[in-house]
Amino acid sequence: MVLSIFKVLWNNLKQGPSTDPFPFGETFTPARLRGKVAVDPEACVGCGVCATVCAGNAIKHVERGDGSGKDFYVWHNTCTFCGLCQHYCPTDAIRLTNNWSTAHRNEDKYKMKEHEFVAYARCPQCDQAMPNMPHAMLDHIYGAPTEELEAIYKLCPECRRQKAAQQFGAQIHD
Amino acid sequence: MSIIDAIKSKAVRSPWLYRINAGSCNGCDVELATTALIPRYDVERLGCKYCGSPKHADIVLITGPVTSMVKEKVLRVYEEIPDPKVTVAVGVCPISGGVFRGSYSVPIMLDDIIPVDVNVPGCPPRPQAILEGVAMALDIWKTRI
Ligand code: SF4
Ligand code: SF4
Ligand code: SF4
Repeated sequence: MVLSIFKVLWNNLKQGPSTDPFPFGETFTPARLRGKVAVDPEACVGCGVCATVCAGNAIKHVERGDGSGKDFYVWHNTCTFCGLCQHYCPTDAIRLTNNWSTAHRNEDKYKMKEHEFVAYARCPQCDQAMPNMPHAMLDHIYGAPTEELEAIYKLCPECRRQKAAQQFGAQIHD
Repeated sequence: MSIIDAIKSKAVRSPWLYRINAGSCNGCDVELATTALIPRYDVERLGCKYCGSPKHADIVLITGPVTSMVKEKVLRVYEEIPDPKVTVAVGVCPISGGVFRGSYSVPIMLDDIIPVDVNVPGCPPRPQAILEGVAMALDIWKTRI
């Protein structure tokens, strides 16, 4: 019994202090830690699901007056790191980084936000403005999209309908 | 050097922390207890020490969304803390209301009634983030005393 306590003491001595060196040194950050939210405007379709499910009401989409796209805001000062936005986003455009460093002076309170611009795409045939359609969305809906789908997914709904009908007609003809 | 200056030069290195729970869910309070009580994070390395009375405090850490019921009590305790003092809002609740924003019993944010110096958002923030906030508060404390 007495010897075992010496063993513990000896092991503790060998291990050194278990105190996290932060803020005087580097700390350990797990890769999957849920921290500040980041948005990839290229992958976002602007569907608004993230804003709907957001527990802290941290996400705001504001349509631009000129119809060119949406402003995408995330206010870190009300984000709860719940991860619902990441879970429900169809294209993985919004995700939680492992950046936990959030402390700031109160004068910067309203500067603690992400601001991205999600531009609308243009139909390559008729130049109609429409929500951006990243390939990730196609993968999400169809798994492995066929060649026909690849050919039409960038078109606006109207042109897509026409093109799809043409493709279908051509198939019947064959 | 006068006696006051001598005391100041010592006090600047060891501010005392005091905690006010303004209607918090206790999540942030657990993280504060973690930074104070667990050797792993050990806030005392920064020269700070938690104290039990507002009259002894220099840096006050406030958690919770400041509900209507607790608002007056928070103000009363806050007034008891001698000047100069540094205020740190811990968690998204006192900063913006967090998940409780818009509730009938959460009509204000902390900085509407108390001058806040440092914010540490998170729900709850991790102990390292709180240490970062306390370090920021220490810098402000040095300029105030
Ligand atoms: S980030 Fe994802 S969920 Fe949010 S609007 Fe963009 S695509 Fe939709
Ligand atoms: S992590 Fe939760 S609270 Fe933060 S932006 Fe995403 S859904 Fe909103
Ligand atoms: S910020 Fe989150 S964890 Fe902290 S008191 Fe508010 S609800 Fe609880």
